[in-house]
Amino acid sequence: MLLTHLPFLLEATLVTVGLAVASMLIGLVIGVFTALARISKNKLLYRISSTYVSVIRGTPALVQIYIVYYGLPQIGIELDPITSGIVALSINAGAYLSESFRAAIQSVDKGQLEAAYMLGMTYGQAMRRIIIPQSIRTAIPPIGNTYIGLLKETSLVSVITVTELLQMTSLLIAKTFEPLTYYLIAALIYWALSSGFSYLQSRLEIRVTRHVRQ
Amino acid sequence: MNMIELTGITKRFGDHEVLKQVDLTVKKGEVVVILGPSGSGKSTLLRCATFLEEPDAGTVRIGEHEIPAGGSQTREKTAKIRALRQNTGFVFQLFNLFPHKTALQNVMEGPVVVKKMPEAQAKSLALKLLAKVGLADKADAYPSRLSGGQQQRVAIARALAMEPLVMFYDEPTSALDPELVREVLHVMKDLASEGMTMVVVTHEMEFAREVANRVIFMDGGVIVEEGTAEEVFGNPKEDRTRRFLYHVQK
Repeated sequence: MLLTHLPFLLEATLVTVGLAVASMLIGLVIGVFTALARISKNKLLYRISSTYVSVIRGTPALVQIYIVYYGLPQIGIELDPITSGIVALSINAGAYLSESFRAAIQSVDKGQLEAAYMLGMTYGQAMRRIIIPQSIRTAIPPIGNTYIGLLKETSLVSVITVTELLQMTSLLIAKTFEPLTYYLIAALIYWALSSGFSYLQSRLEIRVTRHVRQ
Repeated sequence: MNMIELTGITKRFGDHEVLKQVDLTVKKGEVVVILGPSGSGKSTLLRCATFLEEPDAGTVRIGEHEIPAGGSQTREKTAKIRALRQNTGFVFQLFNLFPHKTALQNVMEGPVVVKKMPEAQAKSLALKLLAKVGLADKADAYPSRLSGGQQQRVAIARALAMEPLVMFYDEPTSALDPELVREVLHVMKDLASEGMTMVVVTHEMEFAREVANRVIFMDGGVIVEEGTAEEVFGNPKEDRTRRFLYHVQK
């Protein structure tokens, strides 16, 4: 019985991983730009980015998902469930990631920016070549935490009919009436995914910090 | 011809006036050493001359780049500051090498990114400069693998790679262990003898005596006294200079 259901669970796991990876990648892009806006001297950019971060961090992810999937059609924006899920999760992750990036950028020694300036670099060149590459080291652990959080939050999109891991588990339970078995299996899969990722993260950390005296 | 002209440079941090209308001119090829107790404004003067700190008043001219203090930070002003900095090598007390790049990449960074020099050409320039500061064999080393003296020499090579008109040194040996000071001063002496225009903030009296064409003593945000090393060290006119020299030479 369980064996025949395994392919369904694996397929749903792929959906979960896909949601998490896609949202993470988009979230990283949003996060970098939001972080730069948050430390910029431009007041308008600062206001917009700060409001975004405050609103997203101050509201439940579930509400954000509902707004994207059920709310936006009211103003003519209709997205399919998976797209809605990715949009909502990316926007959510972007806000958290921007805070990690901002802290990491601000942790780079001020002398680095001065040295870049004294070579005649522009602010953009200094950021791209000198500051951001160094801030990535500092940012990896919090980014990893955000990713693991995101991986688990993908389960929220089961409420908008995306057949990811949790939704599939519920479907199988409806058939088999074995909630304990199937929820434990789902938990096990989430745990395996998180642990696998944590392992990759620690390898990456070792790689990028090899030149830095700690 | 004056290579550097600082006129009426004034800088306040809050209520505290760190620089009070300081004037300083440096001729082409001249080596000027600035001495003074901590808090006298000597480092701030170098930082104002490169707009790492925006002066509250005054005018900076280096070569043909002249920028008055104040006014709004327009795109035009930012571009002028950038051009002035490209012509001014700056050596920091704490080196500020880029830790994620090798010695070679540190030296190549300016020419490649700012001057858009082709990689191959920048590499041969950088290798030449590393050889000049005695570090040809450390080209592929990351800063964390280098001693303080070696890091500072790479930092000098990095500044030279932009082929600056002048070199500023902000206490270049203050963060070094005593046995490493000499190798850095040696490189600076060589540069001076090649005719580089230099302004050096330092406590190294020996260096001032041997290399400086002019010694300036600053205290309380003003230039108290200036002259040749012999004049300032041998026969200081001002009481404040005498007291300072007495303490550092003791």
